[in-house]
Amino acid sequence: MFAALWFRAPARARLHALRELYRRFFGENTPDARGRRLLAEWLTAEQRAQFEQHRYFDVIGCDTGKRYRIHYGTAANVHEVDDAGHATMGWCFVPSGFLVPGDVMLAQKIALETDEKGALALANRFPPATHSEHFYRRPF
Amino acid sequence: MATQIVMDQTGDTRHEFDPGNAEALARAEQRFRELTGAGFTAAFRTGPGEVTRIKSFDPTAQETLFYPRLVGG
Repeated sequence: MFAALWFRAPARARLHALRELYRRFFGENTPDARGRRLLAEWLTAEQRAQFEQHRYFDVIGCDTGKRYRIHYGTAANVHEVDDAGHATMGWCFVPSGFLVPGDVMLAQKIALETDEKGALALANRFPPATHSEHFYRRPF
Repeated sequence: MATQIVMDQTGDTRHEFDPGNAEALARAEQRFRELTGAGFTAAFRTGPGEVTRIKSFDPTAQETLFYPRLVGG
């Protein structure tokens, strides 16, 4: 059935379909895409929805109950936020080894949710105004 | 099948094993020890989006995630 349709299609359409297949296959198997997929698997439904809409998600620190916002990125992407959602402090800590953004964000989530004090103890602080929202809203 | 997921520069590398196979289980435990010994943190999911860190190998964990040592950025 598929073969019959395939060979009936004009060469140009076949070429287009092949290109699309190639683009999708490799587009979804890049390290970056794999990292985003892994992250999505380990987020709560609420965090996943927030991430899909805003490119960030919030986590609650296990030790203090403070809220942190993890933006899409690999450095200086964690902000402590107040009840109004305003950033009050930036925290920079990352897993070593030049990982992709999805992996970095997942490690940051797990660290804050399971060992907040340990993560912050080694983090560098930075003023939250260092980066604007625009900085984090770059496309994937 | 159980899976050990190790974050790396390819996104992640997955090691699947049969927990019912003693030899495979021993290899998984050995991998756990090597990774955590090298500074990786191990965690597994206790519910949707809920995560627990583990310090020792848990043969009942269906999916264990490892991420490298955290450093200040």
